[in-house]
Amino acid sequence: MHKTGEQLVMLVVINCALLAVGAGISGGNFLSLFNLQSMASQVPEIGLLAVGVMLAMCAGNGGIDLSGIALANLSGVLSAVVLSSFMSSVDNELAFSLSFMAMTVGVGLVGGVINGLLISKLNITPILCTLGTQMAFMGLAVVVSGGRAVTVGSPDLLSRIGNDMFMEVPISFLIFLAVAGLIAAALKFTPYGLWLMMMGSNPKAALYAGFPRTGIIVSTYAISGMLSGLAGMIIAARNVNVKFDYGSSYLLIAILVVVMAGVKPEGGYGRVVCVVLSAVALQLMSSLLNFGGLSNFVRDFAWGLLLLTFLAVGRYDVVGFLSPFNRQDNSSVPRPQAPKPNN
Amino acid sequence: MKTVSKRILFGGVAIAALLTGTAGTLMAQQKPVIATVVKISGIPWFDRMNTGVEAYQKANPDVVATQSGPATADAAQQLQIIQDLIAKGVNALAVVPMDPAVIEGTLKRAMDRGIVVVTHEADNQKNTQADVEAFDNSDYGSALNVRLAECMGNKGKWTTFVGSLGSRTHIQWVTAGEENAKKHPDMQLVDPNNESFDDANGTYEKAKEILRKHPDIKGFQTSAGNDVLGVGRAIDEAGLSGKICLVGTGLPNPSADLLESGAITAIGFWDPQKAGMAMNAVARLLLEKKQVVDGMDLGVPGYEKVTVKKGAGDGLLVIGNGMVLADKATYKEHLF
Repeated sequence: MHKTGEQLVMLVVINCALLAVGAGISGGNFLSLFNLQSMASQVPEIGLLAVGVMLAMCAGNGGIDLSGIALANLSGVLSAVVLSSFMSSVDNELAFSLSFMAMTVGVGLVGGVINGLLISKLNITPILCTLGTQMAFMGLAVVVSGGRAVTVGSPDLLSRIGNDMFMEVPISFLIFLAVAGLIAAALKFTPYGLWLMMMGSNPKAALYAGFPRTGIIVSTYAISGMLSGLAGMIIAARNVNVKFDYGSSYLLIAILVVVMAGVKPEGGYGRVVCVVLSAVALQLMSSLLNFGGLSNFVRDFAWGLLLLTFLAVGRYDVVGFLSPFNRQDNSSVPRPQAPKPNN
Repeated sequence: MKTVSKRILFGGVAIAALLTGTAGTLMAQQKPVIATVVKISGIPWFDRMNTGVEAYQKANPDVVATQSGPATADAAQQLQIIQDLIAKGVNALAVVPMDPAVIEGTLKRAMDRGIVVVTHEADNQKNTQADVEAFDNSDYGSALNVRLAECMGNKGKWTTFVGSLGSRTHIQWVTAGEENAKKHPDMQLVDPNNESFDDANGTYEKAKEILRKHPDIKGFQTSAGNDVLGVGRAIDEAGLSGKICLVGTGLPNPSADLLESGAITAIGFWDPQKAGMAMNAVARLLLEKKQVVDGMDLGVPGYEKVTVKKGAGDGLLVIGNGMVLADKATYKEHLF
């Protein structure tokens, strides 16, 4: 409890600091409604992928999902190609939008289930399995699209998701928040959440305790796949066109977001709210550097620095060190230490 | 959460709110800003373009001209930069798209907000007000062939290389070359359209095969940037430098040695520096609500008399005459 709160505080402070610095260097322009909306509309793509990676990581046993962005592109490309052979996005705007949304998430689900089955049934290491499926998904997208960009068009409902605001907040960002909230609730209040974290902490104990291992792994990767499909839908809604190699840099950024959010790489612990805040922090920082007109190579450097800072915060009690009250707190109220499971 | 953590949390929020409040909107910029966004920063081609943007800035102190680009070759990264620049409130965008299709939606939003949009190397971009191209592809192809024919003495066997059969511009170049060669009945085209995949080693192997198959071959016209290097090496190793003519697209710095040895007769290219200046010049004209018309002088070498056509969308296609043919005697003027 102590450490998790710290990570959250750190993230909130960093976000506020970034906003303040941005306001400082741009003379308030950074906090204009339009820029806040613009930044918010950029977060969902990477944020959804990061939540997927987080779930996979929590499952333990070296869990990770590298196939996220490839699956997102595949779902967009496949849905666009298949649906436009049936109907036109101009004539049946609503029907096209709805079936496009359903199909992208559906393709994501299928892809995720494939990942889950390979990992749980064939016992393939997740990093190798998802690396393989990543290439397979990307290859399939190339074959389906012939390597070209595929036009989705901007039918009414879909283009609203990509471009419009609801109460001055981009709809895509609201979708992202809603989905993140849903997953956070599932992790907190359902047996699935408990099983996932317990299995991540100690797979052997989970096995002997009779946890439904296959079910947990398959559903974890299935959710991750659906999140990728959703990301693919949002990409298509924003960009009008989809292409197989879009966002090839997202793979590592998604992992960066997750690590920055304090998710344990060995599994068993992760909070959705931290992942959301961490994705927002990365977005703020990259927009900040673009506002300041700094080179994009500086951005990589700054991200690395941020990551190292967070690792340091995780390892040493930096927040406590900075505040004298904290120590008193610790000494006057001795807390029972939670037994650590496996280290 | 612990009380101290909470205190820090609220403290942070309070400080942020305070700073936000004090930071006024004083810094309203008077000069129009033209932001150039390239495919990827830190590679020689776009470093060269940056010198053009800087030169334009120096020559036009009444505008602010800057260049930025992603650190990785990813259309999504370029998209984010464009979006942030739109939010920042630049007046004009001059974009060299990584992938024209991916940024269509964003460029449309930019134009809807009244931002001037100019592109380069994207004659299929729909949402742009003007796409600036360095030259007409057919003119470039025939210019390469004219130089080749001159070197060959208008007779003998010759062949062509393209990056791949799918690359549209390369096919346009060699087709225009073939058209030009028809003027000289003694020039005989053999085994045309070899695919090089822009790989100098593969091209080298293929060129050696052709030299074996046609020992009396006199000329090569190549298209992709690395083709001259591969074919040039094959000619050089066969000791045929100066006896066989080689004209193709290439950059001065990498080609320098082979130009010196005579293995490459001439290289053709366009200068990204001038293209950067031309894009900014067009953006400025559009910012001042001036028309870009046929035959206009943009004030940039190679763009003194531009051809203006209708583009892929509602915008214009502005074509310069910015091609450069350089040989042993002249390549040093363009070292990049």
